[in-house]
Amino acid sequence: MYFDSFDSAWWPFLFILLAGALPTAVWRWIGVLLVGNLDDSSQWLVLVRCVATALVAAVIAQLIFEPSGALATFPFYLRISAALFGFAAFLMFGRRLFVGIISAEIALLGGYALL
Amino acid sequence: MSQQDQSGSSSVYDWSWFAKGLAQLFSLPALILVSAFIGFGGLAREAGITLWQLVFMVPTIWALPSHLILVAGIAAGVPMLAIIPAVALAAIRMMPMTMALIPEIRMPQSKTWHLLAVSNMIAISAWMHTLQKAPEIPRAGRLPFFAGFAGVLMMSTTLAAGLVHQLAASFPVYVMAALYFLTPIYFATSSWNTSRVAAERLALILGFCLGPLFFMVVPQANILFAGLVGGFAAFGFYKFVRRGGAS
Repeated sequence: MYFDSFDSAWWPFLFILLAGALPTAVWRWIGVLLVGNLDDSSQWLVLVRCVATALVAAVIAQLIFEPSGALATFPFYLRISAALFGFAAFLMFGRRLFVGIISAEIALLGGYALL
Repeated sequence: MSQQDQSGSSSVYDWSWFAKGLAQLFSLPALILVSAFIGFGGLAREAGITLWQLVFMVPTIWALPSHLILVAGIAAGVPMLAIIPAVALAAIRMMPMTMALIPEIRMPQSKTWHLLAVSNMIAISAWMHTLQKAPEIPRAGRLPFFAGFAGVLMMSTTLAAGLVHQLAASFPVYVMAALYFLTPIYFATSSWNTSRVAAERLALILGFCLGPLFFMVVPQANILFAGLVGGFAAFGFYKFVRRGGAS
């Protein structure tokens, strides 16, 4: 079945629910059911947090290494060096988020202007 | 009194924190997520998604990687049965994310259906921000805070994406690139600050390095593999250090 399989007003919305919303939400529900009565101080939660953090980190890498849209037109070395520059500034200046974000953006746009 | 505790489950939570969550509309994570959805609104329009389809999919799916896969699949005419596993694979991270958040926000009296309902609002930004704020919030206020914050994020991002679509707003390429670049830098710095033990910071570094490495080997499942390998390795490090410290 395709997005344009049925020429009706409701089909695209059902398609969005079945192909997009359901396969995403199911993992949240499984998470709720699995965490069940797990003790809040359980060692398992440290493992779960480590895996969740590593997954988010892999998403971050994906957004820099294989971006979609306009960012993909910027050269790879500019993206990665601007990201590392921003993160280094974040670590050096009191771990403030806006320091990291503004430094990374200045490096990205500065590098783009110089190219 | 005890009767009220059993039946009036809404009294378990401190709903004054819901408003405080809503007020986080004016926060850095909200600004960044809205920027990301400005980009998505334009992308969806170019892919032929109508305004109402866009407005419908932003809050119902509520996970930007899933949005991107669905829209790319629709634009390329991919059948539903091929889109579902791709979306499901990209969304597996929701399971450990949910498992990490729920113990922070639930009350002993929380019903499973409360948690199932609120879990539908879990996505990286609201999840990360709530984990970071949780220690400052009394337990009874955490679920309302999360619901308020995630709710206001849903509304503002839907509005932003819809407006960009409706106005067919277009921006110079460097503006769009700068908007897209906000998200990874925000996620990286914020999760560094959210981490409570060194093992989580190690997991962040490992996941970041392993993601692109696994992309070369298993491009469809690189995030999953990087998350599992990086997460387990960081946890192994945590256990090793604790054992060493104890002796």
